[in-house]
Formats: sequence, C-alpha cells, structure tokens
Amino acid sequence: MDRRFFILATIGAGTALALLPQNGKTDIDIAPFKVIESVQQTLFPENLKAPSASQFMATNYLLIVSSHSSFVKSDLKFLKYGANLLLEYENNFLTIMPKERDKRLRDFVNSSSKAENWVSLLLYYTLEALLSDPIYGGNKSELGWRWLNHNTGQPRPQKPFAKVV
Amino acid sequence: MRYDVCIVGSGAGASGVAHRLVNAGKKVVMLERGGFLKEKDFSKDEIAYCKRDIVTPNLTESYHTIESFRNGKWVKTTTTQTESSFFNGNIVGGSSNFMSGYFHRLKPVDFKLKSTFGAIEGANIVDWCIDYNELEPYYEEVERVIGISGEVTPYRYHEPRSTKNFPYPPLDEHPISKLIDKACEKLKFTPYKTPRAILSKSKKERNNCYYSNYCGSYGCSSGAKGSARASLLQPALKTGNLTIITNAFVKKLNEKDNRVTQAIYIDTQTKKEHKVEAEIFVVASQAVETSRLLLNSKSENFPNGLANNSNQVGKNLLFSAGGIGSGQIDASVMPLKDLMVEGLFVNRSLCDWYEIEGIKGGIVDFLFEHANPISKASKQKWDRGRLIWGEELQNKIFKKFTTTKQLNFEIFNDWLPTDNCFVSVDDNYKDIYGVPVANIRIGSHPHDLKVGRLLAKKAEKVLKEMGAKSVYSSISPYPPANLQAGGCRFGDDPKTSVLNRYCQTHEVSNLFISDGSFMPTGGSVTYTWTIYANSFRVGDYILKYH
Repeated sequence: MDRRFFILATIGAGTALALLPQNGKTDIDIAPFKVIESVQQTLFPENLKAPSASQFMATNYLLIVSSHSSFVKSDLKFLKYGANLLLEYENNFLTIMPKERDKRLRDFVNSSSKAENWVSLLLYYTLEALLSDPIYGGNKSELGWRWLNHNTGQPRPQKPFAKVV
Repeated sequence: MRYDVCIVGSGAGASGVAHRLVNAGKKVVMLERGGFLKEKDFSKDEIAYCKRDIVTPNLTESYHTIESFRNGKWVKTTTTQTESSFFNGNIVGGSSNFMSGYFHRLKPVDFKLKSTFGAIEGANIVDWCIDYNELEPYYEEVERVIGISGEVTPYRYHEPRSTKNFPYPPLDEHPISKLIDKACEKLKFTPYKTPRAILSKSKKERNNCYYSNYCGSYGCSSGAKGSARASLLQPALKTGNLTIITNAFVKKLNEKDNRVTQAIYIDTQTKKEHKVEAEIFVVASQAVETSRLLLNSKSENFPNGLANNSNQVGKNLLFSAGGIGSGQIDASVMPLKDLMVEGLFVNRSLCDWYEIEGIKGGIVDFLFEHANPISKASKQKWDRGRLIWGEELQNKIFKKFTTTKQLNFEIFNDWLPTDNCFVSVDDNYKDIYGVPVANIRIGSHPHDLKVGRLLAKKAEKVLKEMGAKSVYSSISPYPPANLQAGGCRFGDDPKTSVLNRYCQTHEVSNLFISDGSFMPTGGSVTYTWTIYANSFRVGDYILKYH
C-alpha cells in the first residue's frame, strides 16, 4: 500500500471531504470532488429502501481508490474534467435544491456525449463504492450488500489490492 | 548456477514440463513475470481481481497493440487506449489460477480437420501431425494429476477414453440443472455434465471445493481448482529441484551456434537485468507473449527472430470463436428459494453439434451470470440506450438482485487460422523496459460467425423451453483475450511450421515451446486440458532424448 493510500484508507468514517487535510497540505484537488460528491448524491439519493451515496461513502471511496497506482489515470482526469464541465453548464449546481439538481443533471447529460459519458463513469464508480468490500472505504457498514441481500465471497480481503499479508 | 532446463512462464503449458523434469531429478528454473500468491493469499475481492490490473501488468508498464479491420483498412490501437488488457493472470501458475475449469478434451476429428471437412477458402486449415490416440494417455493423466470431476455419459461425438469414468465424482449441482435436462429431453437434445478441473473430493494437500460462488476470475482458497500452481508447482517445489524466480520479465533469449545459451530477464521490482543459463530452454508464456519473445530474440543467425527463418513465428494465431447468450430466470420458472441457492454449479454442456451436416460445429456450456455484484449492478445503468439513475436505477438494481438470476450460455467453436490473425512486433511501440510489445491482428473468418450462430440458435431453444425471459445471444468476431493458442504451430514441414511434433523448434534444437502456441487448429473447446496434456507429453520427450 503506498503511503497516501494508507493515510486515506485509515481516515475512517465521516463526510469524505471534511476528512481531508484543511490546511492546504494535500496534493488532492478538492474542488472537483465537491462537485462529484453532489452529483453522486443525485445519482444515488436518499430513498426509504436504498442507501444513499453519502451513507455508503461513495466520494470517500473514490478519493481513496483514485490515489492508488492501479486507478486508470485517464479516468481520474476525465472525472475532474467532467466536474468542471458541469460547473460551466450550471455554475449554481452546488447550491440549487436537490430536485432541481436532478433536473439540471438530466439536461446536462442530454447536452453532449461527453457529459453523458462523464455521468456514466461516475455512476460506475458510485456502484463500485456501493458494492466493493468496505476495506476500500465505501459500502459503509456493508449497507450495499445488506440492501441487496448479497452474500459476499469468502474469504474477504485482509488487505486492499491483493497485497500479500 | 547452470540449470538443466530453464522454463519461461509458469502456467499450464510450463508446469506440466516442470512436473515431469523435477520428478526425474532434473534441476529446473522457472521465470515468472508476476508474483507468487498461494491459497492463503487469495480472497474474493472484486476490485483487486476483476476491476484493476493487479495480477496482470499495469497497462502503463506494458500493453499490446491491436489491429482490427475498420472501414476497409487495418487500424492499430493500443490496449492502453482501450483499457482492455490481453494479459491473463501473470502470477505463478498463470491464468490457470483464474480459470473456471470447464474442461473438455479435443475430439479425434479436431486432429484431422482438413482431411475430414476439406479446405475453406481464406483459412489455413491443416491436419495435426499427431492424432488423438497419441494424446489420450496424457488426457487421462490430467484427470488424475490435475484432478477432474465429472461423470461420463454417452453422446454421439464423445471421444474415446482409456478409463471408464472420471477419478472424481461430479460437483454438486444447482437445482436449475434438472430444468435444463428436462428442457433438453423435450427438445431431444443430449445434455452432458461438464467436466471441471475442480476437486469434488480432497487430494493430498488440496482441499475439495467449498462452493464459494466466486470461482472463475478468482484464485482458489482451498486448492480445489486445478491450477498449475496448486496441482503441479507447489508439489514440485518440494522435490528441491525446482527454483521459481518471480517478477522476472524475460526480454530476450540469446542464441549461439543455433542453440539458446541464456535467458535475459528484468527484475520488475528492481528494474535490474539478469541472465540465466541452461542446457535446454522451454517457452510457455501464453501464445501471444511466446511469439513476442521469439520475435524479439533476433541474432545473426535469426535476423527475423529466434527459430523464425521460415517466417512462421506469430502466424496463425488462434482464439476461441463463438459468443454468449442469456435468459432471465424468475419465480415463474422455479421457486425463488431454489433459484437463489448460491455456489452450486450448473455444469451442463451440449455437444450434440460438434459436427453439423458436413461442417465442423462446436459446443455450448451453460452457467449462471457471475456473482460479482459490481459488474451485475453496473449493467443496470442503461435502459434501452438511456442512462438511468436515482430511484429508477435503485429499483432496477434491487429487482435484479432479489427476484431473478441470469442463466448464460457460452458458445465455443473453431477460430479458423487465417493470414489476418497473427502476432508481430513493431519498434515504434515499446514497454517501459524498451522491449517492443506484441502487435495482435485479430481478423476472424466469416465461417466462424456462421457456425457460432447455428449453435446459439440451438442454445436459445433450451432457454425458451425452460421459460426463461428476454432470451438473447450475441456471436462476435472479436476474440476472447484469455483463450489464446497458435502462433508457433507444430508440423513435419519446417517451411510451414515452427515446431516439430515434439514441440521442439525445427531450427534451434534446445528450444521447446509447450503452451498452446503449438496448436495448428484449436478445436471447439477451451484449450487448457489439451495444453496440460501436451505439456506432459513434451516433458516425456525431453526426458527421453535429452
């Protein structure tokens, strides 16, 4: 496990962005992740039956796994690029009401194939967060598995990314 | 130290040779590009094993270029661009660690495709230089040594066997298998219990299958799966005659006076170069990488690559033709409590159409959709081409996981060898070690699609008869990256083949190739059983004559 991954993975529970160092001594570009967090909550909102993106720590997961060497670099670049693209399309996205956010996101997706690809990719990583082993920082308290009555395979990983114990 | 034999690679094709040699007292060194993960190290971690390049080289370290035919010309893209890796399981034991263990023997007819069915225009079909009888004792040995579970029942094209039945009884079956049998009976098809290289009973230090529900794509934590590592290499290490060097990427074989003298490898951790000397060299790095190594091993005697003065290295690369299909099973087909039972195997094949009215056919294997939850959920985000999210997606995912199971089928038929499916190297595309990567031209023959579609129609009938919903199939001209063979075909004529009948190169007497590269045609089944069997055969030859 590289050092930065270790620090992020051991941060623990809470709102993902609030857990990042606030003194500017981080090389993680936080601004796009604020947009990403908001979009993920729109993609997987609170629902009486299903856990929401914030409940299963979708953004925390993405922050952690995107810092690992195995994360596809072009995906990370595109995730950040898309966040800026969305703000260019709707600069009030972070402050408008959730219902309006959903509507604007649908308009955004219909505006270009790039926009649609970005939301599709972010949705994919949101689902990774929902259903991967909690060792990666998502699927908090196994909310995703419990929601879907999913029995995960045994043995479960003791270390992320198949590191030999 | 100078070894008796140096083997490049550690998968099924490499390990059969190693098993033979070390048990006869030969000192063998094996060079494996990846690390050494054992039973205790494996987990069912979808992220690590299925979603990231952890057990394959990172695509920024090495990659392939792929040539596909688009708009009337061959277009080259890199797998770095497509994020679609052609590497498979680069750890000790190779891709056999991650197989599903569907094991079928070739049939006698596969050894004489040309003389039985005749030539097909645009395809380089030849008969093999050995016949089924020569390989049969080795197929039988694989059943015992690797461990194959199953039950022999008759069907029209069943291959001859020297033993009555498999050494291990069939694995436990999911209740759906009975419904497949019932549907087949009605359709007058003959279902066959798919043999699996998975132990239903324990074998020495290997435990029997524990029905984890996460088999294919994952390493086995009980040792039940017949990986080369569990079944051959771990026992071979106990002889004290086998040395496995991990993280060793072999970049070149040095040659002098028509003999290989050294394997030059890079330690991928330290990036330092090393050399290994041996009397005999065996290459088994999986078909694409095997051809790449030979093509990159140029010398004065072999300016086109080692053992390649015939210009045959890399030619007639094979994959497995066919495709997939599926149907949705729900409570209208069988009680939900039975349907949702996890871990048990479907284990049903249809081999009734191995030959179809004078042409070569293939087989159908039935299996449930993989249990991987991320893959299953992410397929739900599209609805008839529209990206969905929010409550609509949440409801769709919930329904998918709790009320249905997808029964899949896979079609396997011959990938005909053609001039448009080969491995080459190009100095313009190199890995981080400065070694040209393999370029793979992936042209397939239209005949492959025709046969695949015929088989898919038969398989669809079974699903429909069972009452499955949304039955569909897709036969593709694109190759499955994990089912590779050919590229260094064997034969009696040095002008048209790289290897002789013992998989020794025609031109370099101390160089053998023992992975699937030797196959001039691939048959209509997965290759691993044949690769294991041939690897034992090559090991016997090396022992006898060297």
